[in-house]
Amino acid sequence: MTRNEFMTRLRQGLVGLDPDYIRDVMNDYETHFEDGEKSGRSEQEIAAALGDPGRLARELRAEAGFRRWENERTPGNLAGAVLGLMGLATVDVLFLFPFLCAMFGIFIGCSVAVLVLVVVGIALIIAALFPGLAWFGLTGGVELVAVGLVGLGMAALGIGLGALFSMIVNFIVKALVNYARLHFRLINTVTQEA
Amino acid sequence: MSESLQVQLKKGVLEMCVLALLSGGDNYAYEIASRMAEAVGMGEGTVYPLMRRMQNEGLVTTYLVESPSGPPRKYYKLTKTGALALKSQIDDWKSFELSVRKILGEAA
Repeated sequence: MTRNEFMTRLRQGLVGLDPDYIRDVMNDYETHFEDGEKSGRSEQEIAAALGDPGRLARELRAEAGFRRWENERTPGNLAGAVLGLMGLATVDVLFLFPFLCAMFGIFIGCSVAVLVLVVVGIALIIAALFPGLAWFGLTGGVELVAVGLVGLGMAALGIGLGALFSMIVNFIVKALVNYARLHFRLINTVTQEA
Repeated sequence: MSESLQVQLKKGVLEMCVLALLSGGDNYAYEIASRMAEAVGMGEGTVYPLMRRMQNEGLVTTYLVESPSGPPRKYYKLTKTGALALKSQIDDWKSFELSVRKILGEAA
């Protein structure tokens, strides 16, 4: 493979990622070719030692997806991180596919449940604090206190569950990423020669 | 040594080796890649994803140095976090190596 072929295939594999990130990665490998040629190796030798550019792109993509999820924990980024891991397409990750789908479903379900708890709890507290609003048709004194306390309990439960839940999701994603990293072909020259 | 054991062992110590290499002085990726390829047979291309991850984790930082020929060169430098990580990984490695050696000694 020539330098141009390598760089083209790498760029194709990175399409869709942040342009600054792509430029950075391309610079790294351009410099690698420059340095390699200066030390007297041919383009083909350098490209062979670098390994499959498609594979490298998939590893970089998986890593970038995981970083986005770490920086901003949104369902979209979780899906991105999981898709990035899938992109590695090792048998082991494919084997995990049903598990990942279930996990994503549970993630959405729990998020909604936590949100509903907190919103309803806060609404109940507001209804109790401001009887004039007469939400839920409540006007009586003792009832208001009871409803306010229930609301407080629901909101606190929602927040507590939310915190616990995000810790669990975080733990699972970290574990998956570590698992995937072990399967990156970091030592690909060894495995190819063997 | 079986191929798979060798590969798994090397994957486990790659990060520690790169940290150790940088503890001896700042270096640039091509040099790190060549040293690692020579020493443990690491694929040269994969040093870049590894360096990027270590940078994201705050173990190393980068700075650019103007080069007389060609574009500025990116150097990697060990951070304080990186130095601490190296120290704890070396401790782990030594105690692991010692335990394995004891068991192997019994078997031999």
